Amino acid sequence: MKYAFFPGCIAKNVYPGIEKATRLVSAKLGIDLVDYEYSCCPPPGVIACYDKDSWLTLGARNLSLSEKDNHDIMTICAGCYGTLHNVWHTLKQDQDKMEFVNEHLSRIDTEYKGNIRPVHFVDLLSKMRDEIKQNKEIDLDFRVAVHYGCHYLKPSDVTGENSEAPKILDEIVSLLGCESVPFKDRLTCCGAGGGVMSGEPDLSLKIIDRKLKNIEKADVDCIINICSFCHMNFDQSQKKLHAYDIPVLHLNQLLGLAFGFKHKHLGLHTNLVSTRDIVKKVKGAKRESMK
Amino acid sequence: MEEKTVESIVNEGRAYACIQCGKCTGSCPSGRECGLRTRKVIHMARLGMDIYKTEELWDCTTCYTCQERCPKDVKITDIIIELRNMAVKNSFYPTMAEVPKIIIQNLYSTGNGQPLSPEVSKIRSIIGLNKEPLDASTNKDTLKKFQKLLDGLPLMQWGETQ
Repeated sequence: MKYAFFPGCIAKNVYPGIEKATRLVSAKLGIDLVDYEYSCCPPPGVIACYDKDSWLTLGARNLSLSEKDNHDIMTICAGCYGTLHNVWHTLKQDQDKMEFVNEHLSRIDTEYKGNIRPVHFVDLLSKMRDEIKQNKEIDLDFRVAVHYGCHYLKPSDVTGENSEAPKILDEIVSLLGCESVPFKDRLTCCGAGGGVMSGEPDLSLKIIDRKLKNIEKADVDCIINICSFCHMNFDQSQKKLHAYDIPVLHLNQLLGLAFGFKHKHLGLHTNLVSTRDIVKKVKGAKRESMK
Repeated sequence: MEEKTVESIVNEGRAYACIQCGKCTGSCPSGRECGLRTRKVIHMARLGMDIYKTEELWDCTTCYTCQERCPKDVKITDIIIELRNMAVKNSFYPTMAEVPKIIIQNLYSTGNGQPLSPEVSKIRSIIGLNKEPLDASTNKDTLKKFQKLLDGLPLMQWGETQ
């Protein structure tokens, strides 16, 4: 199985452990990742809010790169997914926009046809449950708070997801031995999107503070996400707020731990919020599984 | 493509169907913490008022919960995004819309909204990745072409009007 790999700015340039974990886990699962000279997705909140037509064009440039080789494009961030999937969906339906985009792309001798599909890694995982179980070396037994990321789920008439009662992430963590713990308002936004984190940091912190308070009450071992941008917000905001101490892991890092990779190879030690307790628990579980 | 007006945005987003039930405001994670009142935004747009000049438009995180829950299928978040586009087009930047401009500058100079720092480059090599990832900035010709594409896009023109 071959996919064009779209790591996205945050997983490449801020939390490279997420990129590394994705490469390790994909190799185990038999997914071949192909790299291309992608730009930023660009972000649905910021660039689309400035000029939607430019956003469509830059998104289409990214899509066009692996179209030549007929590889679908795989993302690991709800933000990148939101952009690429929405661009793909819009251009499939709107001939005027498609013409606008290709008029601009022709200036750099590029054409977008719409022949490949953007997918999120979690969509691939949902069809690989047996492979996940076969590759699992350690039963993780964590209590986790899962966070889907708004643009993976919504708008549901574009994504096709059940935005009020999604299950896929809960199901995958349970395959690894973890318990997805319910908490208040679990599906609300983390507060990073729409340019709010960069434009109005105080408001963004208020939104995530409320979210973290609800997660803290659920007494979990860590937060699990499928969005590098939410990941960054969860990890950095705890330091900015000088409160909380909840480790933040991307789903692919959790998979990496369950598949037996060392925490340092997954970049867990580069998070701001310490992941020491998680690592300790993994070591305990490893001893258990060897008995 | 035709120039958008508040009226065309209202029509395209079905705001005329709004019954002012307030489910949008009640669902808004940002409105809980600030002055954003989504129902009011939609109502003002429907009345043809210059809602794009209001700063609260920029409090939206574009999480789409309001649009998802609207019983009349009004494309609320899409309308907010279109109104923001209109604000930018009319050079009406509230102060908070200034910061994302840095992201546009980063995008132009590196191809990334969030560029690579020397510290993270070091972390990349420690954990066994290429020091620098393969992307639009790896190859000079690719970056030049990317910048050429950006140069002709409306995004860059309006970025300069301020």
